[in-house]
Amino acid sequence: MGRGTYMKCFKALSLAAGLVAFAVGAAQSGTVKVIANSSVRADSISADELKGVFLEHTNSLKDGSHVEPVLEKGGPTHEAFVRDYLEKSDAALQIYYRSLVFTGRGSMPKSVGSDAEVVTYVAKTKGAIGYVATGTSAAGVKTLEVK
Amino acid sequence: MFRRVLILAFLFICVGAVFAQDFKLFDRDFQVHGFASQGFVYTNENNWLTMNTSVGSGSAQMTDFGANISVPITDKFRAGAQLYDRNLGQLGKWHPELDWAYASYQLKPWFAIRGGKVKTVLGLYTDTQDLDFLHTFALLPQSMYPTDLRDSTIAHTGGDVYGDIRLKNRMGVLSYTAYAGHREDSKYGGYPYLLKQVPGLIDFTSYGGLQYGGDLRWATPLKGLLVGASRLMEDIDGYGTTTAFGPKVPYHEWSKSDWTNQYYAQYVHDRLQIDSEYRRYWRDQEIYSGLARVQTDVRGWYFAGAYRVTKRLQLGSYYSHYELNVPPFLFQPTLLKAHTYDKVVTGRIDLNRFMNLKVEGHFMAGYGSPPYYPEGFYPSVNPQGLKPATNALILKCGFNF
Repeated sequence: MGRGTYMKCFKALSLAAGLVAFAVGAAQSGTVKVIANSSVRADSISADELKGVFLEHTNSLKDGSHVEPVLEKGGPTHEAFVRDYLEKSDAALQIYYRSLVFTGRGSMPKSVGSDAEVVTYVAKTKGAIGYVATGTSAAGVKTLEVK
Repeated sequence: MFRRVLILAFLFICVGAVFAQDFKLFDRDFQVHGFASQGFVYTNENNWLTMNTSVGSGSAQMTDFGANISVPITDKFRAGAQLYDRNLGQLGKWHPELDWAYASYQLKPWFAIRGGKVKTVLGLYTDTQDLDFLHTFALLPQSMYPTDLRDSTIAHTGGDVYGDIRLKNRMGVLSYTAYAGHREDSKYGGYPYLLKQVPGLIDFTSYGGLQYGGDLRWATPLKGLLVGASRLMEDIDGYGTTTAFGPKVPYHEWSKSDWTNQYYAQYVHDRLQIDSEYRRYWRDQEIYSGLARVQTDVRGWYFAGAYRVTKRLQLGSYYSHYELNVPPFLFQPTLLKAHTYDKVVTGRIDLNRFMNLKVEGHFMAGYGSPPYYPEGFYPSVNPQGLKPATNALILKCGFNF
């Protein structure tokens, strides 16, 4: 094979890898949507702000709305959210929350068992913010765009 | 006493299992959490950490537990407290203590205050060193976090200011803590225990003083990389009595200079975690009510790695390096140099979110420098003299809710 053929193969592989990475990224961010109680004024939230809320660095958004996170106890939606938005594994997240609780620097956030329970909890709890699978009915709550 | 504590511990776990997590009172959401751990230690040579670890089949005198309650009073204001109790060989002796109790007020993400008895931020793990279930290892590197000397850095009664500053241009987050307060050591810690024995024969009634310092850590733009530095300064007085010169007479020792510098880095990527820290502790003090002046220069570092092989299994290893120098003084005419080098391997099994088991091997060279400054090995539990190398097996189970 000549040098030109090598370059063509390299470009093709790079393009394929890029497409795969894009597809995986799109699939990840597309599996979860962020929902909030109607008391939350914002319609969108930045990824940094979302991370700050779930890691208990802050309990209010830039517009002043008070927020409190609710998590799922496990499952694919939870795994995807924790990995993509909090950049941790579930085990690391549990250790993180326990380190806050046992040094007095934070509380264990509310956690529930399913998407439906998240929607129910968020709908009835002022300031609640959670995540569910994209296809979940979000009646009674608002969906926040993550920028 | 032991039976009463066991019954209390049992009740504590039962109550915890029933009432764990949340309850509402005065329209506020209270949370109750607790933890307990039980260890077993066997060594082939030398008794370790004041336990009779090399006698018979080892020692199970390694127990601790704690429980806390906390409540957010408003969106920005929260309060809580934690009790802690332990028995580690001759240390702790089941005397419960207030681990932390404070109120905090967060004005902004970048500025908050807390006051009361507060865990001291020093390096990666000083404030969480008792919380076995948070760590891969049954014992954290003893060059940095000596469990027998936990009192010297664990908490202060005073206040902190702290916050997170998000840097522009996605340059990461800077977290700072500055604090000042009073440190008060337990009479059942390693240092009072060491000095109570020959040749010190000092019985402390109080040991503590002013403690102030700060910590700055940077969560860098490189995902998973954290670097930081801490500085701790202290002004310590110890009061008690001594019989070192015959009759019992009042005893006083005080620090002329006492500081700790610590530098650290942590990298977390997926299932891998790597930590490394360096600490220098310098103490210049007057002892025996001003009769002699002694300087102690302690330097330690470690390099640790842990990998989560499966959801339930984590493997880890570290190398811990401890060195101590004591320049010549009245009771020691030549320079004293001592060390402990510890190679460690660990397996941690998470049975579920609340229970874990650990199996850990230590391969140690050296034994610190008794009788001047403790580092795990004490002459009083090694009357036959200390041997140059020690291997240890630790089995530990932990529970938290």
